[in-house]
Amino acid sequence: MARKMLIDGEITQTNEEEAHYDFDLFVIGAGSGGVRASRFSANYGAKVGICELPFHPISSEVIGGVGGTCVIRGCVPKKILVYGASLGGEIEDARSYGWEVNEKVDFNWQKLLHKKTDEILRLNGIYKRLLTNAGVKLFEGEGKLVGPNEVEVTQLDGTKLSYSAKHILIATGSRAQRPAIPGQEFAITSDEALSLEEFPKHAVVLGGGYIAVEFASIWRGMGATVELLFRKELPLRGFDDEMRAVVARNMEGRGVNLHPRTTITEVIKTEDGVKVTTDHGEEITADVVLFATGRAPNTKRLNLEAVGVELDKTGAVKVDEYSRTNIPNIWAVGDVTNRINLTPVALMEGTYFAKTVFGGQPSKPDYRDVPCAVFAIPPLSVVGLSEEQAIEQANGDISVFTSTFNPLKNTISGILLDSIKHRRQEKSVMKLVVDAETDKVLGASMCGPDAPEIMQGIAVALKCGATKAQLDSTVGIHPSAAEEFVTMRTETRRVSGSGKPKTNL
Amino acid sequence: MVSSLAAPKLTTTFSSSTTLLFSKNLPLSLSNPFLSLPLNLTSSVTHLHCRSLSFCHRHRRGFVAASAEPDNGADSARKYDFDLFTIGAGSGGVRAARFAANFGASVAVCELPFSTISSETGGGVGGTCVLRGCVPKKLLVYASKYSHEFDESHGFGWKYDSEPKNDWSTLIANKNAELQRLTGIYKNILKNAGVSLIEGRGKIVDPHTVDVDGKLYSARNILISVGGRPFIPDIPGSEYAIDSDAALDLPSKPEKIAIIGGGYIALEFAGIFSGLTSEVHVFIRQKKVLRGFDEEIRDFVAEQMSVRGIEFHTEESPQAIIKVADGSLSLKTNRGTVDGFSHIMFATGRRPNTKNLGLEAMGVKLNKNGAIEVDEYSRTSVPSIWAVGDVTDRVNLTPVALMEGGALAKTIFHNEPTKPDYRAIPSAVFSQPPIGQVGLSEEQAVEQYGDVDIFTANFRPLKATLSGLPDRVFMKLVVCAKTNKVVGLHMCGEDSPEIVQGFAVAVKAGLTKADFDATVGIHPTAAEEFVTMRTPTRKIRSSPEGKTDSEVKAAAGV
Repeated sequence: MARKMLIDGEITQTNEEEAHYDFDLFVIGAGSGGVRASRFSANYGAKVGICELPFHPISSEVIGGVGGTCVIRGCVPKKILVYGASLGGEIEDARSYGWEVNEKVDFNWQKLLHKKTDEILRLNGIYKRLLTNAGVKLFEGEGKLVGPNEVEVTQLDGTKLSYSAKHILIATGSRAQRPAIPGQEFAITSDEALSLEEFPKHAVVLGGGYIAVEFASIWRGMGATVELLFRKELPLRGFDDEMRAVVARNMEGRGVNLHPRTTITEVIKTEDGVKVTTDHGEEITADVVLFATGRAPNTKRLNLEAVGVELDKTGAVKVDEYSRTNIPNIWAVGDVTNRINLTPVALMEGTYFAKTVFGGQPSKPDYRDVPCAVFAIPPLSVVGLSEEQAIEQANGDISVFTSTFNPLKNTISGILLDSIKHRRQEKSVMKLVVDAETDKVLGASMCGPDAPEIMQGIAVALKCGATKAQLDSTVGIHPSAAEEFVTMRTETRRVSGSGKPKTNL
Repeated sequence: MVSSLAAPKLTTTFSSSTTLLFSKNLPLSLSNPFLSLPLNLTSSVTHLHCRSLSFCHRHRRGFVAASAEPDNGADSARKYDFDLFTIGAGSGGVRAARFAANFGASVAVCELPFSTISSETGGGVGGTCVLRGCVPKKLLVYASKYSHEFDESHGFGWKYDSEPKNDWSTLIANKNAELQRLTGIYKNILKNAGVSLIEGRGKIVDPHTVDVDGKLYSARNILISVGGRPFIPDIPGSEYAIDSDAALDLPSKPEKIAIIGGGYIALEFAGIFSGLTSEVHVFIRQKKVLRGFDEEIRDFVAEQMSVRGIEFHTEESPQAIIKVADGSLSLKTNRGTVDGFSHIMFATGRRPNTKNLGLEAMGVKLNKNGAIEVDEYSRTSVPSIWAVGDVTDRVNLTPVALMEGGALAKTIFHNEPTKPDYRAIPSAVFSQPPIGQVGLSEEQAVEQYGDVDIFTANFRPLKATLSGLPDRVFMKLVVCAKTNKVVGLHMCGEDSPEIVQGFAVAVKAGLTKADFDATVGIHPTAAEEFVTMRTPTRKIRSSPEGKTDSEVKAAAGV
């Protein structure tokens, strides 16, 4: 197949000129976005090289691994721990279904961690094979820019390789950051939290984002005492307020100690563990202190200044709608660009990059209605606008439909009420935000078991502009939780675009 | 995470005012946790059943022109006790009665006394779904699934000194407490809607009169929604066999059970008893389970169930049941005899409950299966008599009965003739692993469209790689090659029924494969596979010769 390199305004190079580059594309970083972009570019006929730091579960300037954050330090290991933690609750619940389970149920953290590491290594191997099979040349080492068409890879033994490339793609992702709090070195980040040698019986988690919420749920599910400290009134800023309240209530119901409007002023190491002092003057001593206060793009050691690649004030690589930086042949995808920091979005950006640069079809990633999930226990999943966003953007009225119900599975526990009291109180909540005039569904959210699985199909409908009437005309699957999304007949409230609630009371 | 999202100001809109609104919309207080179960019990109608307004209008004109008044020439001055008398308070009957009452009709519904086993004299408000079907079945599925979760939990670091054992009597007692509660809730819902509930057996004595245990009630319209009942074929020894009603309420757990039938009920009970550690044998007449389902799904689910220890006896039909001296049962089939069963269950189909309703005398036409024949508006051959749900043997699913009941209330009492829409009805089989599906099977699609693209995924889910269990997931998209529309979607694996619901909206709305592809995945889920299937597994073309010809010509032209 003839190699195409059509970009707006760019004249296709002649074969002669092409010939003097070692690669058509050199990718720095083999995470979700980088692997996708390099594979797809290779499939279009490009000659592709990619470099990645050596593997280790805990990342640093010089440690990474093929697969990237998602596979090694994010989505995958996190979900494995969520499975592990959820099973604890399941075993408890089994009693009300007539199962006689030992009073004493043990949980072996080391065993789970060991199996998790095995699985990650397996996936790391799969990713390497994917690259090899696509004909992508993989280099292990630290990559940096030397010129607009030149990349230098420092290998493990210190030897340096230098390659020229027609296009360079930066896909180095991001890393967990610690806030500048005295004693921050005694705290850990999510990287370490996924690889702790000892199970923390008592944990302090600082942060209100999805990572904080997920780790609090995981450790609590495994039996730890967990303190969740966050700055706002509720965790998960940016999500629908009503759903934030549901998540907070569920976490509290499952025994996580919530500390809203709280931050840490100091961390010190003591004989008993790590002691934090809060801005309220409270002192908590725990086995671990997790800072889940944000991530920063990995742009420091790429020598971007040398070529003049522009960064924004958070240190993210600035790109246009096609993921191109201010240097025409240098591109960036994924978390390093700090657009929407999700694996499937990095995949989308990587795919569209390959299409644009090597597929002859300039393609912009579409950021509308990107669904996402928070793997709290139980999980939250959303797509489209929150009620607050809808109100902010609306000219006319917003129609809100909500459903709060006790999941069927929880209803049978009548007789053994006491033993699982906290779980029986846990209601699933679903919500649809609809444009009252056009009937278009603007947003959907759910907090409850299976929410992320349920939301994916709803996301397809929403993305394609489904109306509430179309949801209503779909027959339910009975008995499921998901069927609530197609059986919400009565509007819960109507709110005008100004944000003033119009009650029908 | 979602850095592009603006940070909304925290308001208090979700606090007290919301709670008030919630409770206003619900007929019972929210403090009753059961009320908010997803049973479609709690709201009033705003459903749109027509795909477009123009369709509705067109249709309405036709209906009014072609049809008689709902009471068909009955003396409009005549006073009736009720505008609607419903026989049978199951899913369809309760829905129709409530909605009719909400439209202002005076409504009565009669139902047999509560019993976990259905008969000519036993039934109960809530009907099959609540008392002998969906709900108790799903509760037992939950119960039985725990054994698989215990197995999984070992792989995730959990350990107990002894293997958990299930106490059948605790389980059944808890389940029955739940059913009692449910039937009570249903009664309340009828009461709150202003529907008169009459306990007893209803029988039609003339087109406008129902006899309930000797007492006569007149009604402008009569709705028959008496459902169906399991059917056990008449073979020697069939009196020793149980049906699904009994299987949901056995006094003790089967040690070894034969389940006869290859339909969804057979598979669901096979999973239930297997999970509760009974030895399970399934006898099917055909080569494969689940006739009518997608062929690959049929193969996949049988294989997964076999891996979990269920023994399938294919192409084996029962001929007799023999009770042995030790009390055990032997099943004689066309292939031989299998001994030692504690229970033999027939899941060989259900029959409409149309006997002794006075239908024949009234001239209400039945089809050869004994189901009531109705038109697209659920009206029988007698204009004042209507029927919805399993008794009409259309698509025998609770949500379909709800749709029919809702449409009927609209047609008769809201001046809005409404046909239920049977396109793209999703359904689930709560086998272990479960199945969810919507639209056409590959075979149906090939028949209907000829040129079809098939996308499949068959993978080991993340959970199984840790647990070490042999669980797999199978997913399939059936795409019409000409239009690129997704015409069928199938899945077998954990959470399939929950996953398929949202996709059913997309399939019903006629979305294309490109629309699926344009949707970003939710990672890591199983469901995201449905939006990341890039390469067709196979392309089926009805006329490969013709196609090739035109392609060759086109190429030559270039």
